[in-house]
Amino acid sequence: MQLPEPPKIAAVEVVPAQPTEADRAAIAHMGLKEAKAVYVVKVRLKAKPPVTSMAWALYVGDERVSKYWEYKDGIYFVVFDPQFFVRHKGKRLRFSQNDTDFFDTDVELAPAPSVAEGNAMPLQSDVLN
Amino acid sequence: MTVAEETGELRNPGLPGIDEFDTLIYGSPPLAYPATLSQYVIYNTPDPAYVTGRINVSAFANLGSAPWPFTNTNVPLNGHICIPRGRGPFPLAVFAHGNHNPFENSTPGYLYLCQLLASHGIIAATIDVNFLNGFNFGENDARAIVHLEHLKQFRTWDSTAAHPLHGKVALNRILIVGHSRGGEAVGHASFFNRLAAIGAVILDGSAGLGPYRFGLSAAAAIAPTDRQFIPATGPTVVPDSYFIIHGSKDSDVFTFEGYHTYERAHAVDLANPTVSDGKFKAMLWVHKANHNQFNSVWAPETPPGVAMPRPSQEQIARVHLGALALAVLLDRRKYFAVLRDHALATAWDPAGTELVSQYQDPKRIFVQHNQEGLAPPVVSLPVQGTVAADGVAAARQLSALVGGAPTTTITLRLAWNSAGTRLLLQVDPATLPAELYKAIALRVGQSNEAANTVNRDQDFTLEVSSGSRTAAFRASSLHRLLFPDPPPFGAAKIVMQTLRLPVARLVECGVDPSDLRSIALVFDRRQTGVVYTGDLQFTN
Repeated sequence: MQLPEPPKIAAVEVVPAQPTEADRAAIAHMGLKEAKAVYVVKVRLKAKPPVTSMAWALYVGDERVSKYWEYKDGIYFVVFDPQFFVRHKGKRLRFSQNDTDFFDTDVELAPAPSVAEGNAMPLQSDVLN
Repeated sequence: MTVAEETGELRNPGLPGIDEFDTLIYGSPPLAYPATLSQYVIYNTPDPAYVTGRINVSAFANLGSAPWPFTNTNVPLNGHICIPRGRGPFPLAVFAHGNHNPFENSTPGYLYLCQLLASHGIIAATIDVNFLNGFNFGENDARAIVHLEHLKQFRTWDSTAAHPLHGKVALNRILIVGHSRGGEAVGHASFFNRLAAIGAVILDGSAGLGPYRFGLSAAAAIAPTDRQFIPATGPTVVPDSYFIIHGSKDSDVFTFEGYHTYERAHAVDLANPTVSDGKFKAMLWVHKANHNQFNSVWAPETPPGVAMPRPSQEQIARVHLGALALAVLLDRRKYFAVLRDHALATAWDPAGTELVSQYQDPKRIFVQHNQEGLAPPVVSLPVQGTVAADGVAAARQLSALVGGAPTTTITLRLAWNSAGTRLLLQVDPATLPAELYKAIALRVGQSNEAANTVNRDQDFTLEVSSGSRTAAFRASSLHRLLFPDPPPFGAAKIVMQTLRLPVARLVECGVDPSDLRSIALVFDRRQTGVVYTGDLQFTN
């Protein structure tokens, strides 16, 4: 049997979207400014690994993404604080199964697009279709 | 008292009991599952008395990409339940599956265990958490919330005058069991059960979730993951009694993640080393068991011939989870003997099964726990004494015996190259009230390093002295110290066995436990070897 291989990333895209009600509550709890938009970071995979209980934790630089979710082309996570993109500008995405051994991808976190005042934000479910 | 005397005439806990029971489905209709999710249609027609509500888990999780006919703001409480006939009240056991292909319903995979427990007079359910399955990460807090909300549903039924379960659920006797990511989640559930809020989510029922504060008798994890979800306060420390079972051929959770959960639970408090939180923990490491065969509907993840046959693995689950349930839920305390020493179950397990087990009782005093630091080993306070290594290299290491993830637990590595070397712990008997305890317990295991012979049990002698009387016991007379089973991939796991030497045997040999002066590990049975020890305790 072979050790599982980490997912391979095809592209990363950051899309602003409306915060959900749960997002708003979490943003308020974190003491962040009320947000018009959150940022959906879509990580398109070349192939989705099989569904297992062991997981590939996704890191941006040295910071572990606490949760990510599956969509049809790969995985995504939601960022509440735009400073995340400032903090991790130019940092690469990495995978690890044990927080000890890391697999670097060649893919950097994409910058957050600016959110123009007055523009209606799409729903998160819409940006994932 | 011998094990046989302690246990009396125990019946195999893996065999069905005498209680008749009914099996039914509960659920949250209407649920218009699409054809691709046809395995879930059964939840659209639950027993009419067992219609449930929906819950909002959006603060914890998004759903995967399967076409669920609901969103994360209104997920259903679906499950299968086996209910003993009779007046009750009956204890409750609730099982949760882990991550798997969401197009296959994982829930019925623990009915074989639910049926066993129900036949012994326990209400047993297996719950639907499939909507959290997929190529997701970090959602195990949501799995815990779903598990607790199912318990809340049982509490609601128990308190509803017209309901068939009214007054039938013993809410102070609850066992939560989870497999895989569901196994990690029972640890979080045990933790969340005591909380008033998680982040922004208030758990008082005002927003739908909680309150909980159930009387959890134990949390049991089958081949769990660890730390995929990490609370803001740090990795979860399971506050309830904890049981874990894991297979050496697990090719999904191949790093034995739950070992870390086990080590964090009920660990020594360095500031108050004699204080116990009153909970036990127990571990069962099953050679040749894989990951998926604990769930009766999951296809094995290992190639043919690698793991033990599925019926054998299910039999082991029945015997040992059955013993746990009978001990903690039905107060048949003699079954704790199975947790303390798996050898008691030899006649009930499949022939030739090789197991390694650990047990830590709530009542214990550490003679050596090794958590003071990486300096040379010492006798642990408040016991006073000295440690001398004679011809044996004794080094404390902060290394995960099971490989993989970082650990915070220190173990003592003992290596010798000639027979007759020893590690001697001399203690001041005035600081060690050994006569108050039933056994000496030493956690020790061999590695697959070259000093150990492949596939040969390791062995040594345990010498215990009081004044002029010394008693010697071969470790192998207490338990086998198995050579590590080769893993499917990755490093071999060093899983320590708890050796329990009854204090009564010391007394029989003339050793006065109230005047105990020394304990020695004498490496006289093998010319060379390497073993790792976790802790040495006097315990019940």
